[in-house]
Amino acid sequence: MDSEQPAIDVKNLTVSYGPVPALLDISLKIDAGQLVGIIGPNGSGKSTLIKSLLGFVKADFGEVQLFGEDVEKAKGRVAYVPQRGSVDWDFPITVREVALMGRYGKQPWWSEMSAEDHDIADYALEQVRMADLRDRQIGQLSGGQQQRVFMARAIAQGGDILLLDEPFAGVDAATERAILDVLESTREAGRTLVVVHHDLATAAEYFDALVLLKQRLFAYGAPEHVLHPELLSEVYEGKLRIFANLQSGQAAGGGV
Amino acid sequence: MYDWLVEIHTASPHLIKALLTGLLVTTVCSVIGCFIVLKRTSFLADALAHSMLAGVVVGYLVMKLTFGQEAHAPAMLIGSIISGIITVAMIGFVSRMSRVKEDAVIGIMYTGIFAFGGVLVSLFSQYVHIDLLHFIVGQLLGVSDADLWMMAIVSVVVLSFIVLMFRSLQLITFDRVMAASLGMNVLVLDYMLTTCTAMVVVTGVQVVGVIQVVGLLIAPAATAYLLCDRLKNLLWVSALFGWTGFLIGYYLSETLNVAPGAMIVVTLTAQFLLVFLVAPRYGLLADFQRRMRAVPQQFVEDILGVILRADQERCGIEDLIRHTDYKAERIRKAVHSMVKQEWLVYVGDVISFTEEGRKHARRLLRAHRLWETYLQHLGVADEELHQRAHVLEHLHDEQAVDYLDDKLGHPLTDPHGAEIPEDFEHLVPGEVMTLAILRDGHRGEIVKVGSLIVESISPGDRVAVGVREDDSQTWVVTVTNAAGKESKYRFNHQEADAISIRLD
Ligand SMILES: Nc1ncnc2c1ncn2[C@@H]1O[C@H](COP(=O)(O)OP(=O)(O)OP(=O)(O)O)[C@@H](O)[C@H]1O
Ligand SMILES: [Mg+2]
Repeated sequence: MDSEQPAIDVKNLTVSYGPVPALLDISLKIDAGQLVGIIGPNGSGKSTLIKSLLGFVKADFGEVQLFGEDVEKAKGRVAYVPQRGSVDWDFPITVREVALMGRYGKQPWWSEMSAEDHDIADYALEQVRMADLRDRQIGQLSGGQQQRVFMARAIAQGGDILLLDEPFAGVDAATERAILDVLESTREAGRTLVVVHHDLATAAEYFDALVLLKQRLFAYGAPEHVLHPELLSEVYEGKLRIFANLQSGQAAGGGV
Repeated sequence: MYDWLVEIHTASPHLIKALLTGLLVTTVCSVIGCFIVLKRTSFLADALAHSMLAGVVVGYLVMKLTFGQEAHAPAMLIGSIISGIITVAMIGFVSRMSRVKEDAVIGIMYTGIFAFGGVLVSLFSQYVHIDLLHFIVGQLLGVSDADLWMMAIVSVVVLSFIVLMFRSLQLITFDRVMAASLGMNVLVLDYMLTTCTAMVVVTGVQVVGVIQVVGLLIAPAATAYLLCDRLKNLLWVSALFGWTGFLIGYYLSETLNVAPGAMIVVTLTAQFLLVFLVAPRYGLLADFQRRMRAVPQQFVEDILGVILRADQERCGIEDLIRHTDYKAERIRKAVHSMVKQEWLVYVGDVISFTEEGRKHARRLLRAHRLWETYLQHLGVADEELHQRAHVLEHLHDEQAVDYLDDKLGHPLTDPHGAEIPEDFEHLVPGEVMTLAILRDGHRGEIVKVGSLIVESISPGDRVAVGVREDDSQTWVVTVTNAAGKESKYRFNHQEADAISIRLD
């Protein structure tokens, strides 16, 4: 039943926090098993789109469907890795407890987490090589390790759709590789991935398709079509350093 | 203090009631306070407390005017919870709908509703017999049986809510987005938590009064927050601090003959400051100690650097003093601790490395020279290279250095022509690594050949690495295949990266 439906179907989505909409009339379909990158400058609504796909922010207008079902009803099918800046790293919680959160949707609120849930969470931590640090409070980890903990949570949750908000921000080359490996294997398992990404230089290499966003949907499609210099200069308004790097084909370390 | 407890037990049931009330109230206040601290809504809690006055008066008036009942406790409780919820709802609504920020909206709403309560008290002063003073400073010693019952019920309700809904509450405080995506009704849970807070605040006001109730909520939770790394622990440690604060404060108020509410809050704050000073990880002293220890790190590394560059890797204390900017006394101390750590050894007056010390020093030298090369690459002026690399070399975490090395194409020498130590972390005999990090003289066996390679080499072949060519950009290797045939190949960086070798 799921196979004919697109995994994600956004129709005329408009979301606003204040008088100015953060997202305006966005329509896009993402097929199951795709690895899609979202690019766009700061404040362009990337995180807002992710939150709409999670059913966290309410649309002013338009709708979001996952596998043909309204997003409200598709609860728990979507796992996500939050943007680093939106997490309270001082929160009294350990690595293991965060991973276990991935299983919270599997048990009703009145019953305890099962031994199986604990095993799944631990296994997810092993997969991202964080098992040794499982009893650390999350603030006492490096940036890359913190990112991996939330990856583990998403892995433990399973889900058909995985949303990641800037998983590569502030991680070193080795962790970037490790995260990418997890993404690949997740996609091979047939899941759909949507990843907010900041580094235009690597975007084409990492993703099957790209979404270029700045309040409106500027482009959606194969990377070579989306990473069009004219389009980019319109959206990024002359942040020239990036294009210089992109056009000469160099790796732009650090992104924006 | 134990004697004192026994004494009141025997002497005065009146005091026992106060004790019971206090313990009950501090438990719920401290526990709910944890969520207030984590959600950073202390100001909102303060608003709840103040807005209560209006609810209490309305509850009082309704019972008095319709049923003729004086000071009906449940009605006043319900009244204050309702006024609390109305306040929170209005704050939420107005701050969402207007450009005025939430803190300002809270300020406007709660003073307004509090003042409205005050106006009601004066207006209906012939009906309402509420002692405003008690409302403001608390009346621990005048708690009625009905109040005590009410507190017991509130405690049971609130604590069972928190225990039962623990996971949901943890998730909505930590990650609302995920909570929503799992289908939790974040808004309803928020209001349930607010309702609990309102009920708890009502009980807290009885003990310490409206102005100080925030202290009762926040201080124990914040104290525990300095010690705990898990939410579950935070909750009970907070309750524990609530109890100690209450008992000590109450005891002091009896002996000094002052108002108990004030003394309890003073104790809670003192307790917080004390823990803030001595907490093992998040305390002031611990922070200070860490800072004291952190400085020598750089200093230790500088000393290692001087010895490594010295003739035969040996030098005396005087050389160290000459080559670093540090005071002789500090250098002596540092060397002493490094000898203890088994990084350095004294042979007579001469200092040299242990195996461990040399390894650490080489790691630093490698980082330093790679940084220099990188900085030159970026266009930093030659005369600045050393100074800047000297600062950056302390960033020698393995992955960062490997990244630099790879990005620079695994250079052999730094801009001054000095040799960059090889990647000895990875060059472990028997381990598999890429050809790119190998240097002249290394031998091994090919394990994997990437699709990039067109030359006819295959796993199992033997390799001997020769001197690099073209300004170290070309790797030169001699490969001996299974048939014993020897051939010489040249690879660029990318190709060298694609070949994996097990080092002999
Ligand atoms: N909770 C909020 N309340 C009010 N405005 C918000 C809120 N969250 C986001 N916005 C606004 O909505 C717009 C889009 O924000 P969003 O976080 O989606 O951007 P983004 O593309 O993820 O940016 P970044 O690259 O900085 O993460 C911004 O103008 C932002 O100021
Ligand atoms: Mg964002």
